Amino acid sequence: MSLLEMNSICKSYRNIDFETQVLKDITLHINEGDYISIIGPSGSGKSTLMAIAGCLSKPTSGEYILDGEEVDKLSDRKLSRVRNEKIGFVFQAFHLLPGVTALDNVTLPLVYSRNPPSDIKERAREVLAKVGLEHRLHHTPGQLSGGEQQRVTIARSLINNPPIIFADEPTGNLDSKNGIETMKTFDKLVKEGKTIVLITHDSEVAEHADRIISILDGEIASDTKRQPSNLPEKL
Amino acid sequence: MRVFKNFRQAIRGLTLNRSNTLLMTIGVMIGIASLTVIVSIGFGIKVKVLDRIANMGFGPESFSVMAGAGKMFFSRSKNTTSMSLQDAEDLLALPTVRLVVPRQRKRMQIINKKEFTNTRVYGVTPDWQRARGWHVADGVFLSDSDLDRKRKVVVLGATPVRKLFKNADPIGKMVRLQNNFYEVIGLLQEKGLTESGYDPDDRALIPLTTSMARLTRERHLHSIKVVTLDASQVPKTMEAVKHVLRRNHSLSILSEDDFRFVTPEGIMEWVTESAQAMNRMLILISTVSLLVGGVVIMNILLVSIRERVREIGIRRCFGARKSDITLQFLFESVLISLLGGILGIGLGLIISFGLQRFDIIPTQVTWEPFMLSFVFCTLIGLVFGIHPARKAALMNPEEAIRS
Repeated sequence: MSLLEMNSICKSYRNIDFETQVLKDITLHINEGDYISIIGPSGSGKSTLMAIAGCLSKPTSGEYILDGEEVDKLSDRKLSRVRNEKIGFVFQAFHLLPGVTALDNVTLPLVYSRNPPSDIKERAREVLAKVGLEHRLHHTPGQLSGGEQQRVTIARSLINNPPIIFADEPTGNLDSKNGIETMKTFDKLVKEGKTIVLITHDSEVAEHADRIISILDGEIASDTKRQPSNLPEKL
Repeated sequence: MRVFKNFRQAIRGLTLNRSNTLLMTIGVMIGIASLTVIVSIGFGIKVKVLDRIANMGFGPESFSVMAGAGKMFFSRSKNTTSMSLQDAEDLLALPTVRLVVPRQRKRMQIINKKEFTNTRVYGVTPDWQRARGWHVADGVFLSDSDLDRKRKVVVLGATPVRKLFKNADPIGKMVRLQNNFYEVIGLLQEKGLTESGYDPDDRALIPLTTSMARLTRERHLHSIKVVTLDASQVPKTMEAVKHVLRRNHSLSILSEDDFRFVTPEGIMEWVTESAQAMNRMLILISTVSLLVGGVVIMNILLVSIRERVREIGIRRCFGARKSDITLQFLFESVLISLLGGILGIGLGLIISFGLQRFDIIPTQVTWEPFMLSFVFCTLIGLVFGIHPARKAALMNPEEAIRS
């Protein structure tokens, strides 16, 4: 069974006198442990696709099943729980809470968790150590470099141990050195069995994934799988 | 547990948005401070008035007749000259009247060599001390012969004595009122300051005839105090007094009284009435100032939410429900208004004490403003917080995160 299953997803935005169809009949299956890139130029609908996949908005029509739950039928309350437990987000602009320490930023998902672990701080230290930030626990975003901020957001997306992570242009705001560092972190996570979906317009970033889905004008234009044997060379 | 977590996030939100927090706090603080000051002024004035009444020397069997039409202490005509000594004599002749004390009153400077002070000078008759039940501590009181001979003698209250003579014995010394010297013949017992700061000892008594001839140079009386045989005779006596005075002043049936009664019950009624009117006004003012505080909170929260769209989006992305966001912002507004309330009470107390300390307005601090503020602040936080909080919660997380 697929971890993520989209069947004939459509999304349109209605203005006063015309309707824009952003996604047209998207069907997509993602398995556990997949490393996927969704690539497309701006305006192609990839961000909308990510918003729907990330349970931030609902499709106009179609069926979306995430980890066995029919997400398109859930209430806001249950959607919030799905976002909390099953999804980790990494954003282009980091989206850390300003003025809050790295440690507290990382624990944000646990604030809204149904059964948070008792050793919250310990868990946060662990995931921060995993991304190599054990020496920056009490720094606020303003005191961290771009690369460090992005690693804090990755740590935040990991803390609840969600089955799938969505990364929206994770290298978009970074210089090439930090970009490579970030991509290495993702590659490492996939090896540990995480499912990662990269949304990007940068083909170099997309190349890291095993499967590249390209979107054009709201439709899947191509869906190519790379031979797993190629992967070690990339690293 | 979830509520508690949102509470902590609210505190974090407030500490991170300091300038907004400060502005909102000030908004509520001013409202609550004015409420505290207004309520304590209200109580202060009430206490002062009640206290004043208790110290006017009214027993239940007596009342005063003041010259001039009007109500209580407020005369509509400033210079009513119709009340005469003859009136006082006629009133004493009434069967239910035990004593009458005709009186003139003037506030003026009293001088002993280089020392001087302002005090209330009364021209009275020897019956004053029986009517008031207030006697001399040293020396003698004014006598009938002082009155007959219009002697220049004075009985002093404790306050002017202290100011004019320090520790020296004043009996037999001379003090000056306007251009005449008066011999001090007696000292009144000291009553002490009342709770509200009214000083009954701040007075000087001279013979009524001397007052008429030398001090006020007026033939008419300012008031007559009437003491009846017992309290049950008061209403009947008032009727009789009215009849006598109207006849003596030859008032026609159509013209109104040129005098007014001041009775203990009348004063109480008047105080209660004015206190009620004042309370209504105070409540109105406080409500308006608190509403203003509430609107300040709502406005700043709305602006703050616009600034914090991204934060809301982030929280929603990582699992915050609509209700979590609502709760966080409601907590923020309630906390703000409670904080503003506490600071407002503090500020209000300081102002109240200041007003009292520097004799500007009497105030009386009571527990009511504390209770009121607590209740009002919570209400204001909830009522004016709910709209911004819902607005934040209903934001589309996808759009919020992109802003």
